[in-house]
Amino acid sequence: MKRLALAVLFTGCLDTTGNALVSFTATASAAPDLGAVQGQPLSFTTPRGFDVTLTTARVWVGALYFSTVEPTTASGATEAPCVVPGVTTGEVRGGLEVDALDPTPQPFPVEGLGSDLPTRSASLWLTAGDVNASDERTVVLRVEGTASRAGTVWPFTASFRIGTNRVTPPRNPALPSSNPICEQRIVTPIGFDATLSQGATVQLFVDPRAFFASVNFATLEQVSTSPPLFRFRDETATADQADTALFNGLRANSGPYRLEVSR
Amino acid sequence: MRPSRHLACLLVLVPGLALAGEVIPPEVLTRVAASAPPDAPPPTQDHVLLEFTVTVKGRAGDIVVLESAGPLWDDAAREALSRWTFKPAVHEGTEVASRTRLSFAMPAVLLPPPTDAGLDDGGIDVIDAGSPEHPPHPSEVVEDNLDGGHADHVMSTVITERLTPKSRGASDLSIEIGKLALVPVQTGGERLKLAPGVLLTNEGGEGHPERIFMRGFDAREGQDLELTVDGVPVNDSGNLHGNGYADLNFIIPELIESLRVIEGPFDPRQGNYAVAGSADYELGLTKKGLTVKGSYGSFNTQRLVLLWSPESASSKTFGAVSLQRSDGFGQNRGAQSARAAAGYEGRLSETTSFRVQAIGYTAGFRSAGVVRDDDFRAGRLGFYDTYDPRQGGEAARASLSGELHYHLGGFTAHQQAAVIFRSSRVRENFTGFLNDVQLARQSPHGQRGDLIDRDSEALTLSARGWGKLRRSVFGRSQELELGYFARYDSVAGQQQRVLAGADVNTPYAKDYDLSSRLSDIGLYGDLNLSFTPWLALRGGVRADLLTYLVNNACAVADVRRPSASHPPGDASCLSQRDFGQYREPTERTSAFGVAAMPRATLLVGPFKGVTVTGSFGDGVRSIDPQFVTENKETPFASVRAWEGGVMYAAKFFDDWLDVSARGVVFGTRVDKDLIFSEQEGRNVIGGSTSRLGALVQGRARGGFFDVQTHATFVRSQFDDTGLLVPYVPDLVVRGDGAVFHDLPWKLAGAPVRASAGVGVTYVGRRALPFGQRSDVIFVTDVNGELSWRFVTVGLSATNLFDARYRLSEFNFASDFRTTPPLPTLVPVRHFTAGAPRALMLTLAFNVGGAP
Repeated sequence: MKRLALAVLFTGCLDTTGNALVSFTATASAAPDLGAVQGQPLSFTTPRGFDVTLTTARVWVGALYFSTVEPTTASGATEAPCVVPGVTTGEVRGGLEVDALDPTPQPFPVEGLGSDLPTRSASLWLTAGDVNASDERTVVLRVEGTASRAGTVWPFTASFRIGTNRVTPPRNPALPSSNPICEQRIVTPIGFDATLSQGATVQLFVDPRAFFASVNFATLEQVSTSPPLFRFRDETATADQADTALFNGLRANSGPYRLEVSR
Repeated sequence: MRPSRHLACLLVLVPGLALAGEVIPPEVLTRVAASAPPDAPPPTQDHVLLEFTVTVKGRAGDIVVLESAGPLWDDAAREALSRWTFKPAVHEGTEVASRTRLSFAMPAVLLPPPTDAGLDDGGIDVIDAGSPEHPPHPSEVVEDNLDGGHADHVMSTVITERLTPKSRGASDLSIEIGKLALVPVQTGGERLKLAPGVLLTNEGGEGHPERIFMRGFDAREGQDLELTVDGVPVNDSGNLHGNGYADLNFIIPELIESLRVIEGPFDPRQGNYAVAGSADYELGLTKKGLTVKGSYGSFNTQRLVLLWSPESASSKTFGAVSLQRSDGFGQNRGAQSARAAAGYEGRLSETTSFRVQAIGYTAGFRSAGVVRDDDFRAGRLGFYDTYDPRQGGEAARASLSGELHYHLGGFTAHQQAAVIFRSSRVRENFTGFLNDVQLARQSPHGQRGDLIDRDSEALTLSARGWGKLRRSVFGRSQELELGYFARYDSVAGQQQRVLAGADVNTPYAKDYDLSSRLSDIGLYGDLNLSFTPWLALRGGVRADLLTYLVNNACAVADVRRPSASHPPGDASCLSQRDFGQYREPTERTSAFGVAAMPRATLLVGPFKGVTVTGSFGDGVRSIDPQFVTENKETPFASVRAWEGGVMYAAKFFDDWLDVSARGVVFGTRVDKDLIFSEQEGRNVIGGSTSRLGALVQGRARGGFFDVQTHATFVRSQFDDTGLLVPYVPDLVVRGDGAVFHDLPWKLAGAPVRASAGVGVTYVGRRALPFGQRSDVIFVTDVNGELSWRFVTVGLSATNLFDARYRLSEFNFASDFRTTPPLPTLVPVRHFTAGAPRALMLTLAFNVGGAP
């Protein structure tokens, strides 16, 4: 009896339902391997052979969500809903326009909340409003720079929103929500194998080079000849290869974005 | 007083049988002489012979005139006897009801001269009822199958106060409410707190069933606790809110005479849902006459109660009605309810008695639901506020039951049948705007709201019966009982999700639409073997066959490749398969299964007043109809429980002080436990869990007080991980006390009686998901009453110290859009607010009852 009482007392002091709720900070910056210097342009060569110099690269990250779902399964279902309840391990619900050319950690304006359940993937929300809203005026990507190849130079600019300009018709009339606008606004699944802990810092690294990996600058629309300026069109319907490639690059779940957690 | 004008009395002597040696007969404590009625005609014979029951409360009930001396003389004798008090009979250490007879002799001066032999006039001539030199002797003690007999009067039936069941160990608690009725309660369900380890919470509001935690189990609204009222089932089989959902709000608290709570499956009579245990409410009304009670209190709470029980009837003959309304505290907690109950007890013959009982109940209520802790702390929502004022519900119940009780010689038989209608509708929103997942076939939509509107309607037919044979073997009384339980339920239930908006009642989706026919037939055998006066073994086996026939009218919720020409759109219950192939939207499923459950208790009592017990038993809970799979064996959640305990009972100071105490160590293992799901708004099947704990309980009753306290500590863990089961309290301490005494002065010659009751609950920090702990609950309720003649004035205060506490706490994800536009998806703390201090003033009048 005495032993039982001691056991009960002992175990009662130590026991838990497991896991913990945590709060953490979140920052974003240019990817450290980018070699970017704050205030300086970034030059690189794309896989298509374009030499690009970026003077501006800003991405609006409206929120980060972390999930227990493995990236492979999360992306497998084409009809997977944008928000799956019950699987979220962390969230940072505050917008930050990330200067992707600045290697200095830029803090998100709100504290991150979550749990120490194993995180397997992340979602990056490119919106400042309702993810399902039909229109949204927030500029989620602003880039400026020049690209050149074989002596041809394309000074370019891009300013992307994800609103009615990005609506994609359903692939089947019987599936009217098969291409919801929220899918355009959420970059997912981004591999993120981590366990959040109290007081930890989640770092989002943005590599703007990946935005341009597939871009053929030669297809850009020229909007000015003096000075020469090319522009990425901000719509899906009339997009050329470069327009679509940059938008897809912005939304690529591997390449432009990487997440790490540090204590 | 003129002795010559008083009726004399004599209890008829009846020799007991050999087994009467186990019985201590009742004793008269106070007697009242019967006054001869003025202007009455002379008595027609020399005595009035009355037959009556000495109840376990020591009062004479169910008085029947066997031999009359004339109506007025009969009434006078009956009226006097109703005011006698007794020390109840005791059988095997337990106070029991007994049936006996009493003869009031007529004043000799009024009788005609004797002309022949009869009762000995000289022996009965003017015998004062209170004469100590003529101690009345009980004619008979009838407990259980114990018979007495008499040359002149064959008596073999216990008419009132059915037998107290034999103890199944230290976790078997027969709780007489008695003076603890002075402790204020809002609902009949709250009396369960008299049982150790019980915590009641309610996130659904007044009118919503209590969520019951018992000894480490989260039984939700009774899903893990077999609840009955006078043997009539309360658990709703097939209810969408939870299989076994039990709403005790139909019970009028004033009618609760006693409770039998068995914390564990240790009695073969316990059936489906007896996982954490079982509780049987015994209704009755001991306050005789007509009582009218009106109350008014905080939050514009009004209550009117009418109670009636005829003077000469047993407590089982009564009528009661209560009406109640309240604005409720904080936001959206108003409620209205009405209850009616009636019972009648009579007898068909010397050997057979019967009872009938009818109960009606209806209620409507609002519910505040949960509040996010971050919203409360940020000032976005008040502690007692609500997110969704459409939460609430309605409930109704009507039942009619009847039972026959037969007893002759060493055989007793009992049969009960009941028909129960029940409907319930509950609207709850635990998560705000989170669970409305966009399907590709649907029109584009955002989150439309998580208000769940769930209703259930059920018609239940139930019957139970048993026969018990008692024989003396090796000089000891041995018993064999064989019994059955049968139940049929026809249940229909729907669950819909309602579009958000303040005044909108538009469902946008249907989750369930089930019609179920459920049957449960169980058989049991129970042996009560008495080896020596200090050693007994009780136990047996029960087997239940459960069958399910479920018609799912919403069997197809989605289709991956719908018809292009007839797209399903936003409909919930589809009638097509892939590529638009037609199918009926309904689907039938049937299943069945048998569960066998052994149970046994060993009782050892080597010392006077001390009993050491050990019990084990298996129990089951059937599952929700929506989880039934075609042609599969019906799965059960099975529990195996054990316990060891010590009980002590003694009386001191010439029985002025009655003390009982117990200590128990217990353990249980459930293979499929119920775990709360905020997305479903109810418990869902989880993994296997085990519990290990201990409790102590004690009660002391004296001439002016009644005090009970208990404390339970239990550790509940998942078997696979060893982690704690969330939400269940590991430490529950409860104290109930009442004092009552006449004041030292009188008012207009009549005494003024003062009474007070107090109930204190302490609940330790409960384990919550994600390693967190809840706040402590510490609440005190008090009540005070003054009674003078037929008037009683009372004032009660619940949550006397106005503690702001969280009755329930949860950790889960929700999004009530208090910080738009981005959704919040991670778990955070939620709570439901406990009630603040509430005062209630009560004025009661009683007509026709004893003061």
